Amino acid sequence: MLKWALKELFAYPLQLLASVGAVGAAFSLALFFQAIFAGESDQIVAYIEKSDADVWVMQKGVANMHMTTSFVWDWKTRLVEQLDGVEAVTPILYLNTVLLAGGRNWFSFIVGLAPDGARAGPWAMAEGDPMPEPGEVILPAVLVELAGIGIGDTVSIAGKDFTVSGLSEGTFSMANSVAFVSMTDLSDIMSTIGSASYLLVDATPGTDKSELAGRIREEVEKVNALPGETFVANDWGLAMQMGLEIIEIMTIISGTLAALLCGFTAYSHIGRKQGEIAVMKALGVRDRSIYAGVLFQVGLLALLAFALAVAIVALAIPVTANFAPQATLRITADAIIKTGVAALIVSLIASFVPLRRVLRIDPVAAFKT
Amino acid sequence: MSDPILRARHLTKTFGTGATEVRAVDDVSLAVEPGELVAIMGPSGSGKTTLVSMLGALLRPSSGQVQIDATDLTGLDDARLSDLRARKIGFIFQSFNLLEALTAEENILFPAQLVPGGMAAARPRAIELIERLGLAPRRGALPRTMSGGEKQRVAIARALINEPKLIFADEPTGNLDTRSGREVLMVLHDIARDQQRSVVLVTHDERVEDVADRTLWLVDGALRDRKKTVENWVVDPVCGMRVDATAPEFSLEYHGKSHVFCSHKCLERFVAGPEKYEEAKT
Repeated sequence: MLKWALKELFAYPLQLLASVGAVGAAFSLALFFQAIFAGESDQIVAYIEKSDADVWVMQKGVANMHMTTSFVWDWKTRLVEQLDGVEAVTPILYLNTVLLAGGRNWFSFIVGLAPDGARAGPWAMAEGDPMPEPGEVILPAVLVELAGIGIGDTVSIAGKDFTVSGLSEGTFSMANSVAFVSMTDLSDIMSTIGSASYLLVDATPGTDKSELAGRIREEVEKVNALPGETFVANDWGLAMQMGLEIIEIMTIISGTLAALLCGFTAYSHIGRKQGEIAVMKALGVRDRSIYAGVLFQVGLLALLAFALAVAIVALAIPVTANFAPQATLRITADAIIKTGVAALIVSLIASFVPLRRVLRIDPVAAFKT
Repeated sequence: MSDPILRARHLTKTFGTGATEVRAVDDVSLAVEPGELVAIMGPSGSGKTTLVSMLGALLRPSSGQVQIDATDLTGLDDARLSDLRARKIGFIFQSFNLLEALTAEENILFPAQLVPGGMAAARPRAIELIERLGLAPRRGALPRTMSGGEKQRVAIARALINEPKLIFADEPTGNLDTRSGREVLMVLHDIARDQQRSVVLVTHDERVEDVADRTLWLVDGALRDRKKTVENWVVDPVCGMRVDATAPEFSLEYHGKSHVFCSHKCLERFVAGPEKYEEAKT
């Protein structure tokens, strides 16, 4: 029966191609959306990841960077510096605000760098110096291109003007780009004195990061300290959580669309094959075997469509990088598993659509075909 | 006398109710012996298909009883009826009804998968049937590339693959030319005679009466028996077709031997060069 189902499916290659294409397009929508979101989430944590601090120190009660405010007094920076296992501490100021460039507003993470804080600055430069002087700002090269400005032009952050002095790479995100200014300027904007937002701690070689973070929490009053990996995971999780509902809605919409397409394909296929099914029943094939054949066909259709969707999105990633550099896409294993499970559910639901039609086919009809 | 392979008692089938009620089959009783070829004939709308559907375990009667190989079908559920059809019944349809996506060989083997362990045992049988029915060059062909005669021979092989005791053929010559139709009838005749399988033939084709052991005439859903005829089938030495020697239309004595022909044309050819056909025969 499965042989018949398989050969029957491939007996009409154009129709199969159209069905796989349509269902694959529905799945690729879901995957594409998840890839965009994962790519954007990557960019949101890009600064934390690329800074590569062994331990992040922040205000007690704070556990991430995105959409958060944190204050750590300067004297606590010195306390951290004196702890065993600490090689260097780099304080930064951080503000999540709007940057006005080229007549458009850009939501941005603004990082204020101390004069000796280059290790917390941009990790790759397209042009210019990586350390901003007072009155200067380093912007993502993609943002500058999209805004239609260049080095030497003026942008505004929280009402204060800055001159673009450098262009960084890997710092652009559609949601939140990273801009670097001097700590003095950001301190003025934030009206803070004698404090940092976060401390980037580099441990001495051989020091256990988790153990060091624990020691900082114990010995420095009212701070939280987290190993770099935990800090990244917290922010990534937060970013994903913010988009989870949208992803779920998109997955449900595309899944429903795929189920409808699969179901319609199976239903119309059964319609065309009523005569053959009547013959099979007359020959002694049970209803459940015919249903198994339908399930197999729909399952295979969904599997092919799923594979096509993965291929489409995998191809779309480099193409998008060329034609729309502002968008960052990444397929995650989680997204593939979720869409794969959706494909499985879709095929199960879709195979029920023609079930009633299969059951109603009368074997006596074999004499009439 | 052996037990009948098929027995129907007071079989009735009605469709609709009240004023729209139609009695398609009316109190039919019959028995078919092993190896017997029974033709059911009758005008269109006489209830032939309805009767054969009930006899073939495809349709439940309104009343009456059907027994196949001593199994009463009355109490069997749909799944058991399916199993019974797969094991004990072979079907041959007017429109051949091959599965379009499968090759000739795959079509022949299709019912074998419905019987536990059937596939392994069926493969050598399929090879034998393919050879016997002259389908060897077409075993890998798809139905859409076959002639009507080839399709019907594939359908016959499919009906025989599980070695059923009973075969139902619905207008098996209806879509075939004269020659192919006659060949198909001869194959069915041989199946009944040589393999002791019972064949029930539903048809309009009056040639069937030549090969049938018994012809049942169905009128308004009720059966009428017809006399049994005696045949002596021989081969036309020119074209190889089977011809009934008991009532030959074209025959000739040559070198003390009697030859029977299917047509005047074959007779003429034989007369033009009898040695050729005598040599071929030897």
